[in-house]
Amino acid sequence: MKLISVLDHLAATPTAPEPTPRRALLTKLGRAAAAALPLGLGTAQATTAGTLDSSFDAALQLLQLERLQVALYTQALAAAGLITTAQRPDFERMLAHQTQHAALLQQALQNAGAIVPTVPTFDFSGRHGQSSNPVLFPNVFTSFDDFLALAQQIEDLGVRLYTAHAFNLVYDAVLTRSVLRILPVESQHASHVRSLRRSRGAVVQNWPSEEDAVITRPAAAQVLTTAATGGEETTIQYQSAGVSIPFSTFLTISKGAAIHDPALAESFDEAANTATAQAAMDLFV
Amino acid sequence: MSDYTFFPAWREQSLGRRVFLRVSAASAASVALIAAGCSDSTPEPVTSDPNLLTLPSGDSGLLYYAYLLSLAQTTLYQKAVDVPPSDFTATDRSVFADLRDHAIVHRELFRYFIDPAGTAVLFPTDFVFNLTSFTLTSRAGVLAAAQQIADLAAAAFPVLLTLFTASGTSQRLMMLKAGSVVSRQAAAIRDLLTPGSFASSNVVDSTGLLITKTPMEVNTALAPYFAPYVISVANLAVPV
Repeated sequence: MKLISVLDHLAATPTAPEPTPRRALLTKLGRAAAAALPLGLGTAQATTAGTLDSSFDAALQLLQLERLQVALYTQALAAAGLITTAQRPDFERMLAHQTQHAALLQQALQNAGAIVPTVPTFDFSGRHGQSSNPVLFPNVFTSFDDFLALAQQIEDLGVRLYTAHAFNLVYDAVLTRSVLRILPVESQHASHVRSLRRSRGAVVQNWPSEEDAVITRPAAAQVLTTAATGGEETTIQYQSAGVSIPFSTFLTISKGAAIHDPALAESFDEAANTATAQAAMDLFV
Repeated sequence: MSDYTFFPAWREQSLGRRVFLRVSAASAASVALIAAGCSDSTPEPVTSDPNLLTLPSGDSGLLYYAYLLSLAQTTLYQKAVDVPPSDFTATDRSVFADLRDHAIVHRELFRYFIDPAGTAVLFPTDFVFNLTSFTLTSRAGVLAAAQQIADLAAAAFPVLLTLFTASGTSQRLMMLKAGSVVSRQAAAIRDLLTPGSFASSNVVDSTGLLITKTPMEVNTALAPYFAPYVISVANLAVPV
């Protein structure tokens, strides 16, 4: 793994006044992330890195996502009566995949010499482990429908976060190839959760669509919805900076390529904004 | 027949009527020619197989390859929409209408990337993805065919994405975003055919990564459906 070279790259960017010995920088970043544990990666990382789009930050944020998913399915499978016998294999499979993805990312970071933060305690009620805080996500482990709605949003978030970071791991070709193979697995998970919800009467397609019924969240939890599907409705895509693709000129009846209006936006998964994704993941730690 | 519009890059060249996409027959041929000390103006040998369609090298070849995958999907999904099997459910019909639309968006986007003017004829007019070997008169048959093609397309993208050159980054990003939806489609079809078969061990390996296919492998799988035409992906970049 060559992720470590990223830190050389980071050290050479204008944010660091002088090239920092990479081991020292790794230690610094690792400590910063660890220090921010109670609130996820939170503010400490924001001040050290500014954005979450460096290779190191990308790998760390994806690890945090996978840990969140592992925790969700671990807790759900442990909740008596939540998941039916028939559907347990589905969630056991998703849990197995997420566990493998987390292990892969953790290994990549460790191979690069990074100090990997310990796994935080996840609280899917949105109360941050404090019973005095308001419940943002009620009945997640007592109502299958409420659980599925949260699972859908977290899986969609996963697809979109991998989309955001897929080409950010540019200094590590091996990790990039792995991430490009993880992304479609996340896409299949998201699609399946959506199938399950549809089979239970929810108005939802296998891909984010403007025709999906909105999952209503309290204002304090709205950031999850924004992270999961915000921007999916866009019909504007770019072929280069500032130059949009003229879909209307070639998706036409005369070219035998007419489509239903919502399909254009559905045809592409969008990248999550990484800061929004972080805020959403921080709802659960 | 002279009723084809050739892709501008090699329009001037006088070719056999079905020898399109041959910019990079150049690759192999011109390497040999240059090695032999020939000048650029030396006539290139015309391939002897009139049904051989050689995809160009570079990012353009990757776009043709993605186009062919989308062509396979649109052809199949369109048929299921036009002539649905009698036991298709309302959900099936709705899903396939969307599958068709998405695949058309992808196909036409890739076509736009290849030929922004939209005037070239990329393939011979009788070039089709042939559906006759599929059983499309039953729900199970349609779903099995769709799963086969969708799995193939989903498996193609992770490799395809690694092959773009630096100049193809915006096209690569669009393909990343499209490929993710193709994978959602594959899971949707899998779950329609066999509930709970999404991301199963047929398509995800024992380490939790999607099982992928190289352009060569995908091309071999698609070959029977493009007959009598033969697609060559020999000029496409080779995965590491």
